Amino acid sequence: MIELYGISKQYQKPNWALDDITLHIEKGDFWFVTGPSGAGKTTLLQIIFREIIPTQGQIVIDGRNILKIPDHKIYQLRRTMGIVFQNFRLLFHKKVFDNVAVVLQILGIPQKEQRKKVLNALRMVNLHHKMWDFPSQLSYGEQQRVAIARAIVNNPKIILADEPTGNLDTELAIEIMSLFRAVNEQGSTVIICTHDRELIRNFGKKILFLYKGKLLRKEEL
Amino acid sequence: MTLGIFLSLSNNLQHTAQELSQNLTAVFFLEKDLSDNEKSAISDKLQNSTLVFDVQFVSALDALEKFQGKFPDLQDILENLDKNPFPPSFEVTFKEDDLSPEDIFAFIEQIQSTEQVSDVQFNQEWIERMYSLSRLARAVGYFLGGILVLASFFIISNIIKLNVFSRKDEIEILRLSGATNMFIRIPFLMEGTILGVFGGALSLFLLFILIEIFPVYLGSSLGVLNDLISFRFLSLTQSVFLVFACAAIGFFGSLSSLSRFLKV
Repeated sequence: MIELYGISKQYQKPNWALDDITLHIEKGDFWFVTGPSGAGKTTLLQIIFREIIPTQGQIVIDGRNILKIPDHKIYQLRRTMGIVFQNFRLLFHKKVFDNVAVVLQILGIPQKEQRKKVLNALRMVNLHHKMWDFPSQLSYGEQQRVAIARAIVNNPKIILADEPTGNLDTELAIEIMSLFRAVNEQGSTVIICTHDRELIRNFGKKILFLYKGKLLRKEEL
Repeated sequence: MTLGIFLSLSNNLQHTAQELSQNLTAVFFLEKDLSDNEKSAISDKLQNSTLVFDVQFVSALDALEKFQGKFPDLQDILENLDKNPFPPSFEVTFKEDDLSPEDIFAFIEQIQSTEQVSDVQFNQEWIERMYSLSRLARAVGYFLGGILVLASFFIISNIIKLNVFSRKDEIEILRLSGATNMFIRIPFLMEGTILGVFGGALSLFLLFILIEIFPVYLGSSLGVLNDLISFRFLSLTQSVFLVFACAAIGFFGSLSSLSRFLKV
């Protein structure tokens, strides 16, 4: 599903943010990427959704070398992914419903279907009763659940999450992680970057350890 | 608005210059005792020119009558003369089109060099001044218009840039959710175009008030200025052009700001 071959990224000489990462992630996998700050976790995710281009190496997703996709067609790749950020990145001037529906609007899905899909996604994260609220009226945990609903509303093949529980307490973090697990059980490949060891102990079956840009080890429990 | 005002000013100035240079005439005095054939040859030459609007033959007798009509006090002088002192002539009116003074001078010189033409009367300085004024009006119009178009372009471009900046997060979310560049750009392009159209329409409205309604209130205070330059509102074509130009400025202003600001 996702194949990385000798991926390296250098922002500034002489340091490597990522150094020769080779990795195969199968369809339906649930991977944690962990390591201390500056290990290259976020860079790895950004390379997968082609926010940044690696300095060296190739990356193949679904049999397609994504580095060869022209810039103006990169949206096709991103439509197969759902991305969740640590700081949620919600539109605070729009209601919860519209925050989730934005992905479907981009795809030009009819409004009736949009409503159905948004409602399903919000039910999954248990926020359907707050769909006409503004994000500012929600708690941190709820806001993150809205971001997850937005990431899963179009049933993406791949879900990428960068420190999705970074701002949340343990209880909420477990709740959010259960959501990712549920999405994974529906067939999406999930990659989560976190440095929360507790979370990894509870949920992690496949773990990548990064340190100073290098892939230190790979564990499959 | 400023663009509209300058368009109108340039328009009025040019129109006034054109109006002043209307009735641009030259009088070709002929040798006396020309045969009818010779006269008609000259008349044909004049009428066949593309510069000439109208040719009137004034016989020596007509000229005398005209003089007598205009200056009855000088009747005595004429009576003391043995013969009619006035030569026959052709009064030529030039077209009101945008003729260059060089063409007119060349034409006059060509006719003057004919043997049968004894003299020519026209105001070279006046023609040159009027054309200079007209050219100056147009050049000023183009120059200021160009500067203002550029200024409007950058103003709109900056407004959109600020707007793009304030909606950076939203754009980022759209990009990462798989929106095409066009999907992201369309609202901004529409905003720029609508800003342009509204700007153009507002400018027309304010210009209308300025030109049509203001003089009614000011009336006599404008005095000679009002008589000399009758301020005109833009023509329909110019008004449509102004709105379209503003829309285009808005559109391209946004486009330029977006292409610089939005990465893939």
